[in-house]
Amino acid sequence: MIILENVHFAYDGIYTALQGVSLQIDDGERIAIMGTNGAGKTTLVKQLNGLLRPHRGRVILDGIDTKRYSVAELARHIGLVMQNPDHQLFLDSVEKEILFGLKQLGFSSEDARIRCESTLLNLGLDSLADRSPFTLSGGERKRVALASVLATEPRVLVLDEPTIGQDAKQKENLAQMLRDLNEKGRTVIVVTHDIEFVIENFPRTVAMANGTVIADGPTSSVLSNDDVIERCSLTAPQLTLAARSIHAIHPDVSERLTLLSNLEEEIVRVLRGA
Amino acid sequence: MSFLEVFQYTRQDSIIHRLDPRAKLFMAIVSAIVSLIFLEILPLLIILIILIPLLVAAKSLRRWLRSMKGLSILLVFILVFNTLLSPAPNPLNHSIALTLRLIALMTSFSLFFLTVHPDELSQALIQMRVRFEFAFAMSMAMRYVPTLAQEAYAIMDAQKARGVELDKGNPLKRIRNIVPIIVPLIIVSIRRALSIAESMESRGFGASPHRTYMNRLSFKKKDWVVVFISLLVLVLTIYIRLYIPLYVWSLPF
Repeated sequence: MIILENVHFAYDGIYTALQGVSLQIDDGERIAIMGTNGAGKTTLVKQLNGLLRPHRGRVILDGIDTKRYSVAELARHIGLVMQNPDHQLFLDSVEKEILFGLKQLGFSSEDARIRCESTLLNLGLDSLADRSPFTLSGGERKRVALASVLATEPRVLVLDEPTIGQDAKQKENLAQMLRDLNEKGRTVIVVTHDIEFVIENFPRTVAMANGTVIADGPTSSVLSNDDVIERCSLTAPQLTLAARSIHAIHPDVSERLTLLSNLEEEIVRVLRGA
Repeated sequence: MSFLEVFQYTRQDSIIHRLDPRAKLFMAIVSAIVSLIFLEILPLLIILIILIPLLVAAKSLRRWLRSMKGLSILLVFILVFNTLLSPAPNPLNHSIALTLRLIALMTSFSLFFLTVHPDELSQALIQMRVRFEFAFAMSMAMRYVPTLAQEAYAIMDAQKARGVELDKGNPLKRIRNIVPIIVPLIIVSIRRALSIAESMESRGFGASPHRTYMNRLSFKKKDWVVVFISLLVLVLTIYIRLYIPLYVWSLPF
């Protein structure tokens, strides 16, 4: 369990990025963090593994203040994949790149090989295993970076903008992998602007603006709140828009629906009644 | 890396900032030559005593002091290793002079780089008949120094997040730890260079053979004064070096 207690942070002590963020993240949750550019999302996730330390407030991992741990120690529990894959790829084959991360965290070479192979397969990278990451396309490099951390199956997985440059199929593969890891009890935290990705895969959403949490709760209620949508510079999900149009005709249909299954039920119910 | 700050332009207004970049370049070169002519403690101290008020005039003394603090480890290294290994008759004296020379050289050029905007520099080069493309490349290079530093920090963060311990282990391991930093840094820089080149071309860079410029630099009276004084100092110091035996003073041990 991770608890953030009133975390404040300012870059160079001047540019305030977080002003009093408090969050509780239980084991085995799937959480999306959303917000405008500059809302403090990346700053927040960097607090989790100690890359940035709070200027005020505390970050507590399993009851112990993370200031006692180094980043490398925290990396064993919390795997963070940053936005730009080019900042971490440095070896001359995709496979080596993934094995490197595993070795850093002390996996035996046999175990590492098995994990590497299954991750490559799951992310559709198996045919690229021997290629140099530098010759791959942007989306492929992104997946290699993801794979290098996903393979280690950390207890808490934090992904900063993982869906950028991925086509629908790759997004679905990624979502499937995240769900599988989650079923094994891993916590998954994702920072993203991709509202459909969040609705389909993350039960809980934390919305941020100006370095504070403006909403935190079930995704369906957070993302059907116009105020949140507005302040996070999002457009309302298609399904919510559809639900609203139906609500205009049939007021007994809730206008705050985000899931396809719920909307289907409502439509069927209305049609039966008619 | 904080010592690099002293080579980074700061947007300010001061007498030194308002000088023509060519005059400042001349001044910097002269003071660098003078620092290289002497390897005795006293003359080098005199050079520094002259340069520091100039830094004050450029409103950059605090920045300079901060950079020197960042550089202090290297300076101590130079001092210690030269004292231990130098074949000079008075090694401590010699290594103090070397350290002072490094500081004087850095200060000479920092006065230039702190106060000359990259655009001014390229304009100065163009008016000194350097081809526009080269001048542009140079000012771009200056412009990207801080970006590169930022990138390096981001890469360090990304690798630390993977469990790479940059500041642990024996010296050999630490050197090997640089690889995960330096390789992405080079790749990212090459990628950026290529994409900048492409975007420049698609915006018509080099489309017209004759360029015109919004601002042209002009030498004013104060710039001539700077050039004249610098020239005088240069001639004087060369004369002193060649014909006047310096009073030999060294540390009494």
